[in-house]
Amino acid sequence: MTQFLALIRRDVALAFRADGGALQAASFFALIIILFALAIGPDLKLMSAIAAPVLWTGGLLATQISLEQIYRPDKEDGSLDMLVETNGALAGVAVAKALAHWLSTGLLLIAATPLLAFLLNIELTALGPLMLALLVGTPGLSLIGSFASALTASLPRAGLLIAIIVSPLYAPFLIFGAGAAAAGAAGDAQFLPNLMLLGAASLFAAAVSPLASAAALRFNLD
Amino acid sequence: MPAPQLSASTLTDMANTLSKSIYAYANPAVFEPVAERIFRLAFIAALVFAGFGLYFGLLNSPADYQQGDTVRIMYVHVPAAWMALFCYSAMAASSAAGFIWKHPLADVAAKETAPIGAAFTFLALFTGSIWGKPMWGAWWAWDARLTSVLILFFLYLGYMALWRAVADKTRAARLAAILAIVGFVNVPIIKFSVDWWNSLHQPASVLRADGPTIHPAMLTPLFLMIGAYMCAYIAMLMASMRNELAARRIARLEAEDHAKPANLVET
Amino acid sequence: MKQKKRERLYMFGGAFIAAAGAVALTLTALSQSITYFYTPSELADLEEAPTRPIRLGGLVLDGSVKHPTGPTSGEQITFVVTDGGAEVRVSYKGLLPDLFREGQGVVVQGKLIGANDLVADNVLAKHDENYMPKEVADALKEQGRWKDGDAGS
Repeated sequence: MTQFLALIRRDVALAFRADGGALQAASFFALIIILFALAIGPDLKLMSAIAAPVLWTGGLLATQISLEQIYRPDKEDGSLDMLVETNGALAGVAVAKALAHWLSTGLLLIAATPLLAFLLNIELTALGPLMLALLVGTPGLSLIGSFASALTASLPRAGLLIAIIVSPLYAPFLIFGAGAAAAGAAGDAQFLPNLMLLGAASLFAAAVSPLASAAALRFNLD
Repeated sequence: MPAPQLSASTLTDMANTLSKSIYAYANPAVFEPVAERIFRLAFIAALVFAGFGLYFGLLNSPADYQQGDTVRIMYVHVPAAWMALFCYSAMAASSAAGFIWKHPLADVAAKETAPIGAAFTFLALFTGSIWGKPMWGAWWAWDARLTSVLILFFLYLGYMALWRAVADKTRAARLAAILAIVGFVNVPIIKFSVDWWNSLHQPASVLRADGPTIHPAMLTPLFLMIGAYMCAYIAMLMASMRNELAARRIARLEAEDHAKPANLVET
Repeated sequence: MKQKKRERLYMFGGAFIAAAGAVALTLTALSQSITYFYTPSELADLEEAPTRPIRLGGLVLDGSVKHPTGPTSGEQITFVVTDGGAEVRVSYKGLLPDLFREGQGVVVQGKLIGANDLVADNVLAKHDENYMPKEVADALKEQGRWKDGDAGS
């Protein structure tokens, strides 16, 4: 347990360093939203209508660019082999890694969302459901993303490959996450079912990702 | 180190002693003739099925009471959609087999199924789009069935990309197998998407609890076409597995010659 | 070694609980019907009419299609969508799919104005899972064994 917590603490600290994944992802997130806003132009009504789906898409893309950082550096400097040797269950390492990614990148993106949402002129009533949906969905993004990172840990340049692998698996999160945000903003009865399906997707990721990541890591050790 | 060119007969001998075990087929010398025979049979069967299927489907079957002649798109669309799901299931199953029993042919079968399955998926989406425009009034709708099949297409692409990216074949096989098995979750979602959600796509009309809702005169060409697609899959799979095994053999020989690095030859 | 075994047990136990939770959540969500379209009855049951554009699915009520300016002009057309329980009036201007006819299942997309009127900007036809030759359909209708389309469900 102490090892588990130490691993999380180490990964979170690394993510917040200048070249860490969390800060890069957050700046990329902000840039996507700003570029989107510039592309939409002066139509504030349109902007507030599509704010939630744009923020979801932006958050998802920003998450993707941070994924390579989860396992590859550890693989490169040999600390992954150390982790495997000193920790009993590899799946435990995978859970700690995914959790650390969410605590750094996931939470940072969520924290940045309200600011960026106001740049998109979001309605105040729409912000709550959006934040709730992000809280429910982003752990799933981290879990599935860390699985893709584990799959490609031994590849030198895996960024694009990770995006190709992860995008179809992220689709349900985008559909139900943006769906819940939109329904919640409209006070629609579809809010809860969408949120539940989003939660189900995250739970399913929690069930599958650690075991699948552990298997992938085993085959990525030399 | 034995020279591989000389080993064909020794390999056959070895294979004979192992022939009781399925592992014998891991040996190219044993697999090769079997694969060729299956390829020929399946190829001819596909042509026969397709001939009859297209004859009945296009010329000698009734038009639908609502859709008229447009219904004939069904005979290319439905088998393609079924094969899209079948190929993914076969890919996941042989991935699991390769993962558990480390059988090299299972890995090759999974790898070579992916592009065929992706092609069937594309065909299903494409013909569905052509069918959707006159019937629904839209080329595409983002309903649950269409979206989940589109995701299936990209799962195939991701699987193929992973195989390509990892140079070491054994490692690539294991990693791709994990991805294929994880992605299998989409298959039941596709199957039941039309029951779980109110979708624009119709519910199942063949595989349903109370029997098919397609008239027998239309069911015959449909099943003939499914037979044709299935045989075409088997034939293509055998051909591309032989191809892959030959490519690996060439790569191995050249690596032993130290003439070229293996990754310049292998695909 | 013993510790390793216990950790593995935690892992599989945790995975199983998460998977069970995912299934339970999915089933609960599906029982609350998440939809590509609303049926007229579902729309009538809503406490508040949705203000954003919606999709509405159901059957075109027999005898309800009206073309004020003639059937081929591509001009304004009105019809009623029903699912047997409730009805919604739809007005639409534009091209209709081949399958559009009275008694046919349709999915219309547009905005509600008032409780029971919808201005559509898109009309899609939905066909059901029944395929048969015209003669068979006619024979079934004659024998009274025709079960009316349930394309709305």
